[in-house]
Amino acid sequence: MSDTFFDPHQRSTIEAAMARIIPTDDTPGAREAGCIDFLERTLSGLDYLFAKPDGSGFEVLEGRTAQAWQTRLDIMRAKYVDGVRDLDARAERVGARDFASLDPERQDEVLRAVEGDAHAAPTTSTVSTGLAGPVSAEPALQQTSTETELDFLPLLVTHTRQGFYADPIYGGNRGRVGWDVIGFPGPASMKEVHDGTYTTLRYFAEGEAEKVREFHDGL
Amino acid sequence: MASKSKPQKADVCIIGAGASGAAAAKVLCEAGVKVVALEKGPWRTRDSFGGDELANINRYNLWPDPILNPRTWRETENDAARDEMFCPVPQMVGGGTVHWQGWLPRFTADDFRMRTVAGDLPGASLADWPLTYDELEPYYLKVEWAFGVSGEAGANAFESRRSGGYPCPPMPVSRYAQKFRQGCDALGWNSFPTPQAALSRPFNGRRATVVSAFAQQHGDPTGTRSSALNVFVPDAVATGRYDLRPNSYVRELALDRDGRIGAAVYQDEDGDTFEQEADVFILACGAMETARLMLLSRSGRFPNGLANDSDLVGRNVTFHEYSAAVGIYDDPVYAWAGGGYVSASTFQHYNHDASRGFVSGGHIAVAGVGIPLPINWRLPGTPSWGAEAKRIDREHYSHSLAVAMVLHDMPQHSNRVDLDDEVVDAWGLPVARTTLKPHANDLAQGRYLIDRGADILDASGAKSVTKVYADRVTGNCSHQHGTARMGDDPDTSVLDRWCRAHAVPNLYCVDGSPFPTGTGANPTLTIMANAWRVADRIVAERGR
Repeated sequence: MSDTFFDPHQRSTIEAAMARIIPTDDTPGAREAGCIDFLERTLSGLDYLFAKPDGSGFEVLEGRTAQAWQTRLDIMRAKYVDGVRDLDARAERVGARDFASLDPERQDEVLRAVEGDAHAAPTTSTVSTGLAGPVSAEPALQQTSTETELDFLPLLVTHTRQGFYADPIYGGNRGRVGWDVIGFPGPASMKEVHDGTYTTLRYFAEGEAEKVREFHDGL
Repeated sequence: MASKSKPQKADVCIIGAGASGAAAAKVLCEAGVKVVALEKGPWRTRDSFGGDELANINRYNLWPDPILNPRTWRETENDAARDEMFCPVPQMVGGGTVHWQGWLPRFTADDFRMRTVAGDLPGASLADWPLTYDELEPYYLKVEWAFGVSGEAGANAFESRRSGGYPCPPMPVSRYAQKFRQGCDALGWNSFPTPQAALSRPFNGRRATVVSAFAQQHGDPTGTRSSALNVFVPDAVATGRYDLRPNSYVRELALDRDGRIGAAVYQDEDGDTFEQEADVFILACGAMETARLMLLSRSGRFPNGLANDSDLVGRNVTFHEYSAAVGIYDDPVYAWAGGGYVSASTFQHYNHDASRGFVSGGHIAVAGVGIPLPINWRLPGTPSWGAEAKRIDREHYSHSLAVAMVLHDMPQHSNRVDLDDEVVDAWGLPVARTTLKPHANDLAQGRYLIDRGADILDASGAKSVTKVYADRVTGNCSHQHGTARMGDDPDTSVLDRWCRAHAVPNLYCVDGSPFPTGTGANPTLTIMANAWRVADRIVAERGR
C-alpha cells in the first residue's frame, strides 16, 4: 500500500510551507513532527484514513463510506496540486526559482498574500465559520469541520495542525512532540485509551483522584 | 429478495434507536410488548470506539458524513439554500448519546408554561406545554436512576421540586469546575455540579466511568459512560422482545385504508426493501429527521406529509446555540482533563425575568476548549498559523477554559425544517432543509448569557476574557426540538399531550419534536423522561 501522494517537488514545497505554519523555535515544529508524512498518508488513498481504535492498524473502508472518501480525496488532492503551483508562481514573480527556495521570511510573505487574496475573494464557504476553528474567523466551540469546502491555505493549516496534534499512528506528531509542546499528557498508545487504563483524573482538583482511587484501575 | 421473507408484524415499531427510541424500547419491552426497531445507522460496539480526535471529529467516524448525508440551510424562504451540515447528530444505535458527555439538568416548572410566564413575544410562537413539570417529575427520577446520573440533589437552587435524589454523588471536581464555582461564589450566585450521564462510582452492576481526555465527541471504548447504547439498549435486548435492526433506513410510513399507519417501508444495507407492519409506530429519529420522514410520507389523505393537515410539521423548530466566554488563567486549569465536560453549572440566569428586557434565559456551565487537543480550536482574534499561533497554543492549552451557554432560542412559525427541492442524500431521498433566522430575543439573550459567563471568569481570577457572541443560530448544539409540537388544539399542534398525532391514531413522536419550546437547558434528560412517559401510556392503552 502506497503511503505517499506528492512528487518530490510538491513534497518539499508543502513541507516548507508547513514549517512556516508551525515553525520550529526552541521547541519542535511541523518539520520535526513529520506533518508532511501525515499529509502524504492522508492523501495517499483510503488505506490510512481511520486507525483501528486499539491502534493495531487501519480500517478497511467499503461501500458508500469508501466512495465518499474517494470523492473527498479527489477534491483535496486537486487543491494541493493547484496550491503548490500557485506558491511557485508567486515565488517566481519575486524572482525566486520556486517557493521552497525562498528564505522563511519571504515564504511568510507569500503565504500571507495567498491568505489575503482568499479573503478578498472568499470561496471558503461560511459554513465553516464557527465550526472550522483553526482556519475560520470564528472559534470552533463544537462540532466538526467540512474540509472539502476550505481554500488551499486554510486546508493546509488544518492539516498541519492535525499532523502536529493527532495520534502518532497517523504519521505525524512523531515521538509525540506535538503533545509535548503544549503539555498534553497523552496516552502511550491508542491501546491505553481503548482498554480504559488511560485516565486524566490526576489533573482534577487537588485530592479528587485520591477520593475515588478504589474505583479506577488506571490511577 | 428470495432469501428474505416479509417481516412478522410487531406490536410496536420504533424508528430510531437513539436516546428516545431506546428509552421507549426499554419501557415497552420490559412491559411485555414486542418491539421492532429500525435504525438507519450501524449498531456499533464499544470495541469500535477509540481516543482518536482526528477520526471522531474531523473524519466523520461518528458525525454523519456530509457527502452521504448532506443538509441545507437558508435564512429565509426567499434565500437560496446552501449545503450546510446543520445540526448534525450521530446516526447509529445510541444516537447522540454515543459521543456526548451528557449534561443532564432537568427543565424547571416554568419551562412548561413559558407563554403564560412571559406573555406574548411578537414574532415568536411561544406556547405552553400541554403537560406540567409535576406530571413529568416521576419520569425524570426514573431516567436518572435507570440511566445512571451523577449529581447532587438540591444543589441547584433554581431546580423545581424533586421526589428523590441522584443514584450517584457528583463526579470528581475538575479544576475548571472549581474555577467556575469559585467565580460564582464570589458573585453570590448559586452553582452546582453539572448532573452528568456518568457514574462517579459503581452502580447497578456497572463500573465507575473512566475519566479519559477523549470523551466529549468520542465514543466510549470502556462502556462505562451512561448512554442509550450502554444502558437502555442492553436493558431492552435482555427482555428478548427487542428486535433491533441496524442499517435499516425507513423511507416512508405507509397509511392503511383506515387512515392509520400500516407499515414502515425500509431498505436494508443490501438495498432490499421491506414493509414492517405494527399496531403502533413511534418516531424517534431526532426532531429534524422525524419531520423529514413525516414530510416524505405523502398520501392521498396527507398530500403535504403525514399528519400535516395543519402545515405545522417541521415548523417552530428550535436548536439552542452554544457559545462561550473564554478565560485564560495564570495557573493551570487542565480543561482537557476528563474530556472538558466534567463541569459545574449555574441556573442563576435561567428563569424568565422581565426586567432583563428579553424572554427566558439559559443554562451556563464550564467546559474545555479542545476536544481534547487544539486541532479544532482557536481563540477568536488570534492568528491561525505562524510563530504567534504556536506560542498561543503552547501558553493557553492548559490555562484556558470556556464558560458556555445553552441559548433558549424562541420558536417562530417561519423557522422550519422541510424537504430540499434539489439536494438528495446518498440514498436518493430529499434532504432536510432548514429555514432559520434568529429572533431578536435570541441575540439579546445570548449576549446577556455570554456577558454573565464573562463575569464568572473575571470573578474567578482570569487574566484575560474573550467573549464570543452568537450572531446566528448554527445548530452547533446538536439539540433539535419543536418540529411536531404537542398541544391540546389540533389547529395549533401536531401531537396531543401523549405525543400521539392528532390526525393519525397509531403514530407517536418521542424525540425532541413534541417540545413546544426548546427551553434553555440540555434537552436529552427531558426527551428520555418524556419517551418513558409516552411508552407507559402506550402500555396502558394496550392493556385496555
